[in-house]
Amino acid sequence: MIEVRDLRKHFGAVAAVDGVSFIAKAGATTGLLGPNGAGKTTTIRMIGTLVSIGGGSVQVNGIDAARDPGGVRRISGLLTDARGLYTRMTARENIRYYADLRGVDATRSGKTIARFADWLDMKDILDRRTEGFSQGERMKVAIVRALVHEPSHVVLDEPTNGLDVMTTRALRELIKRLKAEGRTVMFSSHIMQEVAALCDEIVIIARGRVTAQGSADALLAMSGKNNLEDAFVALAEIDGAHGAEAAP
Amino acid sequence: MSIATILTVLRKELRDHLRDRRTALMVFTLSIVMGPLILVGLTYFVSSVEEKAEKREVYVQGVENSPQLVNFFARQDVTIKDPKPDFRELIKQGKHDAVLVIPKDFQQKFVSGKAEVELVYDDTRQDTGGGAGGVLRRLLRAFNGEVTVQRLIARGVSPQVMRAVEVQDVNMGTPAQRAAMLLFIIPWMALIVGVTGCVAVAIDMTAGERERGSLEPLLMNPVSRSAVIIGKWGAVAVYGIVIVTLILLGFGLTLAFAPMPKLAGVISLSPAQYLLFAAMLFPFAPAIGALQMLIATYGRTFKEAQTYVSYLVSGLSLVPVVSMFGQFKDAVWQLFVPMLGQLMVLTRILRGEPVQAIHFLLPMGICVLIAVVSIALLTHLLQRESIIFGRS
Repeated sequence: MIEVRDLRKHFGAVAAVDGVSFIAKAGATTGLLGPNGAGKTTTIRMIGTLVSIGGGSVQVNGIDAARDPGGVRRISGLLTDARGLYTRMTARENIRYYADLRGVDATRSGKTIARFADWLDMKDILDRRTEGFSQGERMKVAIVRALVHEPSHVVLDEPTNGLDVMTTRALRELIKRLKAEGRTVMFSSHIMQEVAALCDEIVIIARGRVTAQGSADALLAMSGKNNLEDAFVALAEIDGAHGAEAAP
Repeated sequence: MSIATILTVLRKELRDHLRDRRTALMVFTLSIVMGPLILVGLTYFVSSVEEKAEKREVYVQGVENSPQLVNFFARQDVTIKDPKPDFRELIKQGKHDAVLVIPKDFQQKFVSGKAEVELVYDDTRQDTGGGAGGVLRRLLRAFNGEVTVQRLIARGVSPQVMRAVEVQDVNMGTPAQRAAMLLFIIPWMALIVGVTGCVAVAIDMTAGERERGSLEPLLMNPVSRSAVIIGKWGAVAVYGIVIVTLILLGFGLTLAFAPMPKLAGVISLSPAQYLLFAAMLFPFAPAIGALQMLIATYGRTFKEAQTYVSYLVSGLSLVPVVSMFGQFKDAVWQLFVPMLGQLMVLTRILRGEPVQAIHFLLPMGICVLIAVVSIALLTHLLQRESIIFGRS
């Protein structure tokens, strides 16, 4: 479970995150939906302990992110938009490096890599140097690297951004499988359809605040629109101060 | 902070950069090629200077016209050679050394004290006319002196009246000291290699990491930042020490095995002296590497960092030049200045002058200080969100 309470972060005079609260239930998939600049990335970075928490609190599986960032990092796998690889090393070496840093022994990481590589259809690139990899190939390596320690909580920041149809599909499949394995998954996106198809719960963020929260059907009903895109636009427009809460 | 993390980072960085062509090229050119090349160049320079100075061969035309002069030359251990027939033209072209021409009527005029000789040279040609012309001139002056003394004695006058002041040359510089002035280039080279050897590595693992967007995910691992930085610095230190060792080996092997008797005469380093060199350079390269890592971290890209680091590198490279023009006498304050202190001590080792514990401990202490402060500041810097996320 990821519990975010009244989370805040200011960059100078700009309030990037301005009182965000939500709960990502254990074993469920939660989508963070919002237009560009809504505060999704900053929220995710605070959950992942990459950015200091400006106000409020984040708890991952009961561990407070401000007090024990190391504890949060150990049980979570985080993928942000920084997906840089070491180009003189093979995909497997890149992944192994992180496994070593996390103290995962070679046998275990070997098995994990094999399983994810199978799911993401990337066996043939595992032992190639990552120099010249396509964006999709880089993405696959980065995601396996972020998950090599088999985290119970998976947080992905716009994972499908800039990917082709094939890779996007493989990634959506991965998210489903991660959930099926019992992990708590949370990811951000600005594509309503994607979030609706994958998530049990959707949190809509705009201008640093939560404007609506609930299942896809509940959000549709609440917005009074008959398609997801219109619903998203309508719900993103709501003033966050009086954030709507859909009935469960 | 765990040892395991440090070792993991260290291993990864060593392996990663071993595959980097930039690093390989740097190591190769700087340490393996440059050292021997410079020594060979120096050898030619030293031996050509010595040859010119010691040249005991002169060209004389008309040897048969003055047995007395020829006799004098022979007594001075000078070999007399016949010039080529067209020597005047050749001298003009710079292809012939100076020539002494003794005219046919020399002997008759000599008796009456009116003898003349002709010295043919071209003083715009330093390499031929200058050197050998000087030798001939000195010989003729000595001959004049000898004849004058004989004539004064024959007339009952003491030769002392000729000399108001007696000048005696006492050159205090030993050959080794004179050579050390030339060979200041060896410590200078070794230090420059220590400074530039791991620039590419230091930049790649800081600014390079930022540029390719791998710093953020790296720091997302549950490891302490200081462990990551110490691991990275460890790799820089290993590269620095390897490069410095290679250039010392390059110098050593060249001196030991290359056929350069001239240079071997003026510079011969004992194994103990190599060890002293190493003791001086081993802390230096890693300390400068830490400083370079710190500076490079401010760069968002490899290129930007390269610009920042180049200020440091050129600054340090200029230190020896400043010390040369400043004609600094060895003093304790120099030991506090990175590069200057090292240069002073290395030159002392090379000159065979005594080195004391302070000569090692002080620069070493400064190096440790630079490394510790750089690593501490770098750890602090990596807490900054603008550094972790600030990408180009």
